Amino acid sequence: MNPRRSWMIVPAHDPDAVARCQEHKPDVVVLDLEYSVPPKSKEAARAGLADAVKKLGEAQVDAFVRVERDTRWADVRAAMHRGLKGIVFPGPDAPEEVSDLGNHIAAMEKERGLDPGIVELVLMLESAKGFWNAAAIAQASPRVTALGVGRIDLTMQLGPLPQDEFRLYRFLMTRTLVAARMLGQQPLGALWRPGSRGGEATKAGTAKAAREARLMGFTGCVCATAEQVAPVNEGFAPA
Amino acid sequence: MTTQTMPSGADGSPLAGEKLTPKYIRRSLLALSIDDPQLAQKAFASWADAVILDAAKRPDRNWQEDLKARMPAAIHAAARGGAEVFVRIERDTAVAELDATIFAGLSGVVLKGATGPDDVVTVSRRLSALEVARGIAGGSLEIDVEVNTPGAVWHSLEIARASPRFGVFLINEAELCRNLGMQASPTLDFDPLEYIKSQLITVATSVGGQALGMSYPLSLTEENANDDAVAKAVRRARDTGFKGAVCPHASWIKFCNEGFRPSSEEAAYYVKVIEVFAEGIKRGMASVPIDGKMIDVPVDVRAKLYLKWANRAQERDDEKARAHAKPGA
Repeated sequence: MNPRRSWMIVPAHDPDAVARCQEHKPDVVVLDLEYSVPPKSKEAARAGLADAVKKLGEAQVDAFVRVERDTRWADVRAAMHRGLKGIVFPGPDAPEEVSDLGNHIAAMEKERGLDPGIVELVLMLESAKGFWNAAAIAQASPRVTALGVGRIDLTMQLGPLPQDEFRLYRFLMTRTLVAARMLGQQPLGALWRPGSRGGEATKAGTAKAAREARLMGFTGCVCATAEQVAPVNEGFAPA
Repeated sequence: MTTQTMPSGADGSPLAGEKLTPKYIRRSLLALSIDDPQLAQKAFASWADAVILDAAKRPDRNWQEDLKARMPAAIHAAARGGAEVFVRIERDTAVAELDATIFAGLSGVVLKGATGPDDVVTVSRRLSALEVARGIAGGSLEIDVEVNTPGAVWHSLEIARASPRFGVFLINEAELCRNLGMQASPTLDFDPLEYIKSQLITVATSVGGQALGMSYPLSLTEENANDDAVAKAVRRARDTGFKGAVCPHASWIKFCNEGFRPSSEEAAYYVKVIEVFAEGIKRGMASVPIDGKMIDVPVDVRAKLYLKWANRAQERDDEKARAHAKPGA
């Protein structure tokens, strides 16, 4: 299987965005229940998942749902429909959180008549604790297939201003890479630079961030905007 | 260069932090095959501090018996120029390889492919049995770990603590890059292994051992670069905390031997520091100036440590010189 290079975040409450997401040719569509969804639209976003997951699954698109850490139980319940490839869990801090969520997914697979073990779990590390415990966390469920370096929450917790050089970032990327490779999981992350990060990243900045990450051993990353998909696909393409 | 004498005033008692000087003077390591007909000559001419013997397992014969028959002579040949001798073994066939290659004259083994502490424990146990069986001093054989897997990096602290035999981390950058999915070409404007190197140096030092490696980008290109480039790369590696390097080219060895130690100029400066500070103390001063710099207790302690390091390196060079001067050498 080719590595999933571009993981495009699509706000799950926005039917137009969901309908058009495939135009950008992402390797993975991540229906989002986290930051891109305003709190007042969260219920609508959850309610729309059954249809969105089904349609993406029928179109052979790898569809994931990014849950919110604090509401992950209800979010997973809303996401578990035929066609779902996996759950993106941002900010795990401890192995038990991952094994518990894995068990919850297993229960939901049974309830919804899905094949046991079919739903993957992707972990995005976003805390100091999470990075330090990366290997134990990533081993806590056999469902974990990818381990990634989170973005906004991480900078907020560790302190640097997001617009400046985040000097810890390469250390955190290295730790993620080593853990993921040791466990045979996909390492996700890009070397975002000041002024070209998150939703503000330019196409050129995104391509550079992806290319440098590929040289460092990563094989894909999250795309905060649709415009980042093409440069990410290009940056992670083998040389 | 001759050994610098500790000035009067340094009483020879253990210094605070003395263990911070390198445990081994192992600045340059050269890998040679026991099948190399030039083994003895190459080892002798190299002036390497240590030789790593690679013993290929020949599939067309009983490789264990074959190696058992050949290893003692290979160890003797590799040591002729005064080098310490190690044998490299693979994790997956470690026990069988140990049985075939461990003989008197070895300083230890280089274990390649380890992914966790259990691998070191397995090797350590076997070495204990072989030390008894083959008349080698108990506990004397060292285990050095060649880091080429993500597991060895992640579990480096457990690996280093797994046996008192642990001595050194050697970083096999090309294989480690491949196993991390990194491009093993220096196309980035930073060293992608920077933090891994920092970790291995810190971990090895924390258990009283040391780490061997080269600085980026020469660490990845491994090219037969010009003298100036190698000398500078060695200096950067020493400043990072490495105490030596495996040399892919014999031409690197001279620069590693000269660069992974305080230079003669540094040593002379430390002697001056120690003398001037001791005089100052006698006059009741807490700090004294030298060339516009203030010398106080930490600077004095560091000078003594570095001088000791320089002297030990010189002693090692003298040892090798004696080995080269032996009749029939």
